[in-house]
Amino acid sequence: MKVAEALKAIDRGWVKKPGGFRVHFQLKTDQGLETDHLPGTDQNPFDSDVVAWRTAWKLYQVSLSDDKQYGQGKMVNIYVVDDQGKPVKYYANGKYQVYNPCKDQT
Amino acid sequence: MKETLLEKIDRISLVMTNYSSDLIIGLVMLISGVLAVKYLVRGIRLALERSGLSPQKSEMTCNILMIVLYIFLFVATAGVLGFNSRNLFRFLVIATLLIVVMVMLFKPYLPSLPFKPGQTIKTGSLLGKVEATTFLNTRMRTFDGKTVWIPNSKILNDYLINYHITPSRRIHLDLRIRYDQDLMKAKRVLEEVMILDPRVLTKPRPVVYLTHLREDCIILGGRCWVNNLKYWTTRCDLLEKIKLRFDQEKIAFALPQRYVYMHSEGPYFPEPDAQYLERPDDADETE
Repeated sequence: MKVAEALKAIDRGWVKKPGGFRVHFQLKTDQGLETDHLPGTDQNPFDSDVVAWRTAWKLYQVSLSDDKQYGQGKMVNIYVVDDQGKPVKYYANGKYQVYNPCKDQT
Repeated sequence: MKETLLEKIDRISLVMTNYSSDLIIGLVMLISGVLAVKYLVRGIRLALERSGLSPQKSEMTCNILMIVLYIFLFVATAGVLGFNSRNLFRFLVIATLLIVVMVMLFKPYLPSLPFKPGQTIKTGSLLGKVEATTFLNTRMRTFDGKTVWIPNSKILNDYLINYHITPSRRIHLDLRIRYDQDLMKAKRVLEEVMILDPRVLTKPRPVVYLTHLREDCIILGGRCWVNNLKYWTTRCDLLEKIKLRFDQEKIAFALPQRYVYMHSEGPYFPEPDAQYLERPDDADETE
């Protein structure tokens, strides 16, 4: 086995570097929960999970506010996903974390 | 003496009578021309920058245009004042071309500033972004919002770091951990945190060294490379994540410490360790 091959295998099999991060959130509408991301999927993702989690927490604060569009609990299931859309563990506690969780889809 | 002064005044009044209208027209033409050139060049510079041309190229284009316009203005003014404008025009064109050729020929031998506007540099104790350069000084904006004019002679005589020559930069993360901690676990965690950050480059790969065995701690050195522009934020984020991850993994950082032994009963003379008193090699020699 060549060193280059071994390094590629290590990259695939050990720690996988994410391509970026987005904040996932859902808005309560008359039709149900509408999923959106920040930045949008057509934009470049955040290159820092620290920034992404901080933004998620700030969105959570907005959801607790009196804002007519996003506040009063309208924004739910706020968490950070990677560029593939998979949830990312919160670096502060090493666990999956969801701000303002809501399982109700209606 | 009085007559000489009167003669001089007479001569000036004669000149003014004959040429005053031309002088005034020339002066008005020169002032209005300079103002017109200034506003025209400013407008063109804005248009070029809006069109997406780089600031350096738009600056150079505007400077060339300004020189050409000034030549035309001086020649036209000279024509109004009665000078032979054709000869003056030829002289100015030849002089300009000569200067351009001389600059092009001797540019490699002329002392030049090793940076361009828009680049981040550190000279002396000043760190900031270069806004503009002139023959005499360089205008720099520091990251705390101060605008500093630095004499070019001072820059050329001092050390200078240009952060744009190389695209990437190495981050040093030196962590102090206690001797009783799991060294291999700490190395693995540190390497993982660096690899997991998207801004950390894959080539060269992040590495962790044990750099020092100090009297009170082990020093782990994490080394990884990032893009120049992302150096500071990446370093801060990595430090934050390492601190939190080490807490999760229960790896304790070392604090500067010194052990002090208190002996209440008289002066303390430590007895030598028994293993150092026995010298089997010496015993063999005596036998």
